[in-house]
This record gives sequence, structure tokens and C-alpha cells, in this order.
Amino acid sequence: MLKTARETPLLETLRKHDANVGEFAGWITAMDYGNPLEEHMATRNSVTVFDVSHMGRYLIRGDNLFEFFQKLVSKDLSKFKEGRMSGPVLLLNENAHIIDDVMLYYLSDAEWLAVVNAPNIEKDRVWILKWAKEWGYNITIEDITLSTALIAIQGPRAPEVIEKLGVKEAESLSILEFLRRPSVLGEEAILVSRSGWTGEEVRSHGYEIMTTVEHGKRVFEAAVKAGAKPAGLIARDSLRLEMGYPLIGVDIGNDVNPIEARYWMALSLKKRGFLGEEALRRIYREGVSKFRVAFKLKKGVRRIPRHGNNVLIDGKVVGYVTSGAYSPVLGRSIGMGYIEATHSYIGFKVTIDIRGKTYEAKILDFPLI
Amino acid sequence: MSAEDILVKTKLGEYLVKKGLLYTKSDEWIKVQDDTITLGITDYAQKKLKYVVNVELPEPGASVNAGEPIVTLESVKSVADAYSPCSGEVLEVNEELYDTPDLINKDPYGAGWLVKIKPAEPIDESKFLSPEAYAEKIRAKEG
Repeated sequence: MLKTARETPLLETLRKHDANVGEFAGWITAMDYGNPLEEHMATRNSVTVFDVSHMGRYLIRGDNLFEFFQKLVSKDLSKFKEGRMSGPVLLLNENAHIIDDVMLYYLSDAEWLAVVNAPNIEKDRVWILKWAKEWGYNITIEDITLSTALIAIQGPRAPEVIEKLGVKEAESLSILEFLRRPSVLGEEAILVSRSGWTGEEVRSHGYEIMTTVEHGKRVFEAAVKAGAKPAGLIARDSLRLEMGYPLIGVDIGNDVNPIEARYWMALSLKKRGFLGEEALRRIYREGVSKFRVAFKLKKGVRRIPRHGNNVLIDGKVVGYVTSGAYSPVLGRSIGMGYIEATHSYIGFKVTIDIRGKTYEAKILDFPLI
Repeated sequence: MSAEDILVKTKLGEYLVKKGLLYTKSDEWIKVQDDTITLGITDYAQKKLKYVVNVELPEPGASVNAGEPIVTLESVKSVADAYSPCSGEVLEVNEELYDTPDLINKDPYGAGWLVKIKPAEPIDESKFLSPEAYAEKIRAKEG
């Protein structure tokens, strides 16, 4: 691959905290800070700070944003309003293939913000503009990914940290609500939201701060000083796996449709009049051949299922693994993948072939904790 | 780190290459002492592999062949093998790793050693990389 990886704008700050650096989706960022299992547990039991600036960020401006996005995305936005995030919504093509899952922020009637997955920053921008043109909407996109930082503060003790950053009013935010232009460390940020992708945003507390790069560096340092343990993408991955949140391009590829992925939180199956609706309804009506499920291995088996491992019953392949991790909360390995619809025996046992050896596992629904 | 050791700095990180050891192209180090070879993985290898959660070691007394997988290392991110640098017999394995596999991350050249092997024939040191050559290999790979 000749493409040069981009660096998170906070890289030097992360290195000061002994980040082990690696590449994810074309970005160089912190994979861990020495012990990702401790970072995972600190997120569940205390508080951590993540740099998630590799996620793409656009400001989207236009006259009829609500109408346009209601036609473009899979989820009903009729209750969406100023100061709220949409939760994950899918961009689908006419065949209901998933282009990406994105998060929309309603800044004002004429200005929204989108946070998109790192590998799809360019693709999504082209996709949104293509349909705006096709449907005659006058929409502009300003990519602010490189000029801003996104920092997540996650865990039950997150309110203490957010208070020390001087954003006490953030504590009263409901899930997926945000403060526009709040003061953080006495300086104006773009927004502070009650959100995250670790599970703590719904289980306890999770906040995300979007601001300029220079301010973001100070916010990261201040969060650490206030008691948040720096955490990297490896912990973020095992945290989202415990919750059953899928990762686009890994758990949801081109060969999977939204019904097979059971991505219910990003879908409104009663909604009418959006791109891909007909194909999605047809799939929903006619049925699917596989389902996304969770796997849990036995305690003491310290092998981790990996992307591409086969899932078997009596030696017959009935599914495959798309992600795996060691869950320090459960003290065992966990995974995510697909099972043939005819064999989706939730709660029953299967085996997983990990490098030629089979290990017993249980098929489960999400979340695992 | 002693003054002699090499610290390779690249865009992605800093990797210690210790003097007094020999290196393989598959990122292991070996220490040759009398009739015994100690095998481990390098600082570069452990940083690429990430946090190790499980290690599968051979049985002491087992015979091993040069170039064959001898240890399986499972990390939070991936799984990798370490290869035997020579043919011979396993003398001792680092049993500490069963309970604390992350010794490989914390001290790859010391407490994180993997196995000790008695080689069937004297080692041909010219088949291995010097610390300088290994450092150069990392630089070439990561720029």
C-alpha cells in the first residue's frame, strides 16, 4: 500500500503518556498504553480518556437538511431536533448495501455535523454530495477532520473528570444530547456530547469533546490530570465487542445486509421514502440466510477467535467469526460473527476452529455484559 | 538499557535492540552460552504483536527442528509463532509466562525469555543478524 498513513493530530500528546502506536484504517494512533486489559477495566469501573480524532468529521450546510437526510438514511429522523445526535444511521445504496454507518448532529436547521468511520471519510462525502445533486439539494460539506480533535471520556467516574474540565452542565445531558459551544477549561469547544462507543455512554457515563487541535491537546492532558487513564483502540475494540456494536468493514462488510447484521438501532423498518427502502423491505419480507450473533468461549481457554475462523456443529461449518477479543470483565474470550439462519441456536453450543484446533463456544445475543 | 544498546526510532515508535545477542529475520533474539541457546522475541516484535495474553510453550525434552514453530504467542490483537533457531532439544521453558504472559511485553530480552534449547550441532553465527543489521532491518521496514 503506497498511501501514507495520516497521524492523529494528538499523536505527540499521546506519546507523552507512553502510547504504543500503530496503524488503524490509515491512521497512526495509540493502540494501547501498556496494558489494554487494564484500560478496558478502567473504562468499566473508573474512567478513561481516548483520542478518537481518526473518526471523520464534516460540517454539512444547506437549506433543507432535514428533508434531505430523511431521504438519505435508514433511520427515521422525524423526532430529531437541535442539540441531539441521531445515534448510528446507515447510508444504504439502492440495493440496501451498506455504504457506512454515521452519526448525525443537529447543530441548527441549516447546519448539521456528521461523524463517519475513518476508512470512509472520502467515500461518504462523495456519496452525500452525489445524492444532494441528484435530488436537487444545495448542500455543502466542510471536512474538519484534520483541524479538530475528538476526545472521549468514558466510565462511571466520567462526571468527576468533566466537572474538573469546567463543563459541569454536561452532567445533566441525556444520552445522545450535546452542548453547543460549551466552555471547556475556560475556552470555547465545538461541542460536548453524552456519547461514546464503549457502552459506558448508556451503562454509566460517557462524554465526547470536539474542539480545535491545540485545545484538544490541553483537554487530553487535563483529563489525565483529573484522573482519567489514557486508553487506546485495542481497549475500545474489546469494549464495543462486549456491547455487540459492529465495526463497519470488519463485522459488516459488502457481503452482509442490514437485516443479517441485525443492526436494529440504525434502522426504522416502518419508515418510508428513503434510499434503499424497497430493497431493505424485500430482504426483510423474504428473509435472510444468516444472522449476526455473539460467541462466548469457556473460562480458561486463552485463545481468541479471529476474523475468518469457522464456526462448526459436529464438524460442519455453520458460520464464521468476524471479530474476537479477550473480555477482562467476563474473564474469557468473546467474539462476534455470523451463523446460518437455520442454525441460529441462541444459547446453544458450537465449536470454533482457531488455527486448526476446535474450542467450545456458546452462541449468544448481545450485549455480552 | 546499556550505553551499547541501540534504540531504533521510527515514525511508529522506538525499539530497543540489545547488544550481545543475535537476531533472526523473523524477529527473535538468541543468546548463545556454552551448550545452551536462549530464545525470545525482540522489543520490535512485542510492540507489533501488542499485549500478550497467552503463550503455548513446548514440553522440556521435546526435540525441535530449525525453522519450525516452537512457541505460539496470542496477543489482544493477533496470534504469532516464534520459530526455533536450530535443531536440538528443549532444555527448559519459561513457566512464569503461563501466569504472566505480559512479561514478554514488559521485559522481552530478560524475564520474557521463551525457551532454552540444546542445539544438535554448534550454531553457525553467520546465519543470524548482528544487532546493527537487525536495527537496519527495522529502519528499512518502517522508515
